[in-house]
Amino acid sequence: MRKIKLLPIALAAMLLLGACNSKTAKETTSAESNAETVETTSAETNAEPAETNAESSGDLGTLEEGASLVYWTMWNEAEPQGAVIAEAAKAFEDKTGVHVEVNFNGRDIRKTLEPALDAGENIDLFDEDVDRVINSWGNYLLPLDEYAAAEYDDTDGKAYRDVVSKALIDLAEQMGEEKGLADGGKLHHIPYQPFIFTMMYNKDLFDKAGITSAPANWEEFLDVCAKLKESGVAPITVDDAYMAALFGYTLDRIVGSDKCREIVENLDFSDPGVLEACQLWEKMAKEGYLSSKAATNVWPAGQVDEFAKNEAAMYLNGTWLPNEIKEQTENFRWGSFAWPAINAAGDGTEANNYGGQSFGINKNTKYPNAAFAFIRFMTIGEYDQKLAEESMGVPMGVTSVWPEQLEEAKAVFEGSSKRLGWAVGMEDNSDVNAAIKDGFAKLVTGEYDGQKFADALADLK
Amino acid sequence: MKRKNTRMIVTFLAPVIILYAMVFLYPVARTAIMSLFKVEMVSQPVSEWKFYGIGNYIDLFQTNLFLVSMKNILKILLIGGLIVLSMALIFAIILTSGIRMKRFARSVIYLPNVISAVAMGTMWLNYIYNEEYGLFNNVVTGLGGKSIPWTGPGSLFWSMLIAYGFGMVGYHMLIFISGIEQIGRDFYEAAEIEGANVFQQFLYITLPMLKGVMRSNVVIWTVAVAGFFVWGQLFSPVNLSYDTVTPVNYMYELVFGASSSASTARNAGMGASIGVIMALMVIIVSALSTLITRHDDVEL
Amino acid sequence: MAKEKKHPAGITDAQKAGTKTRMGIEPFKPKKEVRLLPGYLLCGIWILFTFVVVAWVICASFLDSREIFDASMMRSFLHRLTTFNLKFDNYVKAWNTQKVSVFFLNSLIYTLISCVTIILVSAPAAYVLSRFRFRGNGLIQNLISAALGVPAIMIIMPLFGLVTSLRMTNNPVTIVFLYIAMHVPFTTFFLLAFFKNLSPTFEEAAAMDGCTPIGTFWRIMFPLAQPGIITVSIFNFITVWNEYFMSMIFANKTQVRPVAVGLYNMIQSMRYTGDWGGMFASVVIVFAPTFLLYIFLSEKIIAGVTGGAIKG
Repeated sequence: MRKIKLLPIALAAMLLLGACNSKTAKETTSAESNAETVETTSAETNAEPAETNAESSGDLGTLEEGASLVYWTMWNEAEPQGAVIAEAAKAFEDKTGVHVEVNFNGRDIRKTLEPALDAGENIDLFDEDVDRVINSWGNYLLPLDEYAAAEYDDTDGKAYRDVVSKALIDLAEQMGEEKGLADGGKLHHIPYQPFIFTMMYNKDLFDKAGITSAPANWEEFLDVCAKLKESGVAPITVDDAYMAALFGYTLDRIVGSDKCREIVENLDFSDPGVLEACQLWEKMAKEGYLSSKAATNVWPAGQVDEFAKNEAAMYLNGTWLPNEIKEQTENFRWGSFAWPAINAAGDGTEANNYGGQSFGINKNTKYPNAAFAFIRFMTIGEYDQKLAEESMGVPMGVTSVWPEQLEEAKAVFEGSSKRLGWAVGMEDNSDVNAAIKDGFAKLVTGEYDGQKFADALADLK
Repeated sequence: MKRKNTRMIVTFLAPVIILYAMVFLYPVARTAIMSLFKVEMVSQPVSEWKFYGIGNYIDLFQTNLFLVSMKNILKILLIGGLIVLSMALIFAIILTSGIRMKRFARSVIYLPNVISAVAMGTMWLNYIYNEEYGLFNNVVTGLGGKSIPWTGPGSLFWSMLIAYGFGMVGYHMLIFISGIEQIGRDFYEAAEIEGANVFQQFLYITLPMLKGVMRSNVVIWTVAVAGFFVWGQLFSPVNLSYDTVTPVNYMYELVFGASSSASTARNAGMGASIGVIMALMVIIVSALSTLITRHDDVEL
Repeated sequence: MAKEKKHPAGITDAQKAGTKTRMGIEPFKPKKEVRLLPGYLLCGIWILFTFVVVAWVICASFLDSREIFDASMMRSFLHRLTTFNLKFDNYVKAWNTQKVSVFFLNSLIYTLISCVTIILVSAPAAYVLSRFRFRGNGLIQNLISAALGVPAIMIIMPLFGLVTSLRMTNNPVTIVFLYIAMHVPFTTFFLLAFFKNLSPTFEEAAAMDGCTPIGTFWRIMFPLAQPGIITVSIFNFITVWNEYFMSMIFANKTQVRPVAVGLYNMIQSMRYTGDWGGMFASVVIVFAPTFLLYIFLSEKIIAGVTGGAIKG
């Protein structure tokens, strides 16, 4: 009798002990895999002399014996990107004999990847947003400087980094440098599916309103808004997913991106520029330049209800938008232009938020060459083009063709010399984001005026 | 006889106790302890935890978004609870008072609870609350009123609560019904003979007999509200809003990261503290309701 | 108060007895119905609303994405219906390419195993707690109620760490175990109240007949508790079927994924691609089983609850 009662207690005790020991278990497994990596890299260095030799060709391109990859992706199988990846994995296996096991996590990868890596799960490469891969998971990444600088069979005699989008590789390198990882490398992830966040507009509605060209400065922009309003559509719309970005861009054009970053970091919205931004939108709302539905739009209402139905003409959004609403639209003529400058103190059309998804290779992978080969397979040539076509997205390879919907976005992209962070930092802090959304919506309903909105933001301190 | 009983007691209880220890005691204890440390990632080993006392709790109460979420959850708990449980009781009484098609009505009223919350939420948000062609506004304008902005700032919260409540009424109604139907008819017959009218019968027989069931419903409601998460996410699918944020939504973000790739801050310690606060909320309500109904337990 | 008009169970019968003697075999239905009119009205509105909403989802699932969320949606639907042009494509796509069949099978297996095991674990415990006085009985009951109040996410965190270090993520055993463990407290709680209402005369009779306490439980008390067990099993079935929070964290590989997570993923990806028709088709596929199950089993619940074995 007593024995039986002791049993549950004993079990519980064992569990608690086991939990405490799980730490040591984790350490041992990661120590083991680290030892493996060290062995492999030293084996590689022994096999090929001095990787610093610029002429080292194809050594990084030789696939490991018996390689097989496990690839965790952020896409869902149902999405066009997912479908293309599934196809690409099969094609890659046909071409190289390397089996790629794709795990379609969907956006949940954001929370399942890190614990899985910590537990030593076998993952060779993964992808996610370019910011997230380096900032959240930088410590797990294999440095790719040498890989990017080398030449391969499929890069036409050039270094890899020369056959893909320079802006994005430079961006990834810069991010890696800023992150300052222990391995001293700079480039740690390879971007793909780039995007740029800019004003997307409906060319048909512009034509109907008698607008002949996209606005190049703020006065022209207001003029465009007036014409659109007269023609009976809402000039601009937005929903709760993009309000912070809309506000951020405005603030950036008024005080500049450094000031924006400062404001969010210090939670100090007392800067007069903030009031100016708030009052600007108050005016826009009052004049009817901002759709009154903006207050009640819950994502994706802004794009599905208004923009896709030709009820709103312009939307500050990403180049993924054509893909997202392709089921709701037919023969939609897309145009893009950069958000115009407002103040001299702020940035101009050269500052835009761009980025993409990116591939990262697990530093503990047994098959880095194979992993990088797959990345090349996805970012240059046939499958890069396919990915761009199927997802109406931007290609990574230099020779690939941009989809026609994004022709004008390409011009904005090429004219962007300064990179803004996502939503110009307004979403870095959930509190700030929530306050902006709430205040912005109230501005539209008339509950707030510019001053009240600015006060609400200043209260965050 | 006593020995046999003890063996039976232990054998019957053992699985539950073991499961309990593994899946409740251990995690709860560990989370509660984690709430006293500064921990970034939930999977971090204990050696990396830094003691922080009640620092996490202090930080929480200084975070605007958390305070808003607490306000929201209390509104849901109290106002929502009152409305939903009253509606459930009313329906339970209607259905047990001899209307026709009782089975049919019961099935239909419970139906929303059976449908996945994700599906219901999407329907409410995209169809019923749509400002232009939504069901509600169609009815409102049909009756001559003006379109209501159901998903606007401030109103989104109430819309969410209504949608949530609608799905929960059937569930609580069923519990009330099973309670009412357990009340023996003799009581009513005796009361009728004694000359009590309908209202008196309700007040002096039905209501007191339902005390136990009422308590169950209150506790179940509180537990569900403490875990209120899906609906908040459905009504603000991209990121947190003042109208729809609840403690668990906020905690999810702290532990697993926000949906925006820009904010990469993770704070599992603070997340654990939110868990503790929610658990406390349930304990308090449970204790209070037990206290209130304890003395009045009527033996059948 | 409006409640005056609603009669608690049993009153109607007594009234029946009363009025019958007065009015003979006269059908007193009109009088009764009128008194219940507000009740009918309220129920009617509620039920109508539910129908409209469910009907809308079903209609939407047969339409092209562009036709949904539009003022002329009903017209589009009727047009498609009458021209036999309903978009079954949505369903086919959902079932095949979205692998709903896989999720379905997974959910079926997980849910059935969980429900049975939950009862086998909880019923004995509930019985023992309701019948026998022993040290720790009160404490255990309080602990179990306390378990009900623990938000899942508080449990998830350490369990996740434990499970990943044991490399047991995406393992069906893990998720079924968790389903069982998470539902045992509620089931025990529920059955406890149920057992308390059963008369002790049964045990006394059984003991007199020489039945062991354990035997008494399995042969007499357990079957007597059938109504409660069925009710709570249905609750459990539906909850486990619709459970996605833990499933999302512990069973997210396509082969192991249950239907609720699958649906959530499909909805998310369809939000990104704007395929609302397909999304609603997936929704219908997912909720159909629980709905049908509920319709068939609700009869059992009623029979059980109003069963005569409860009175002593």
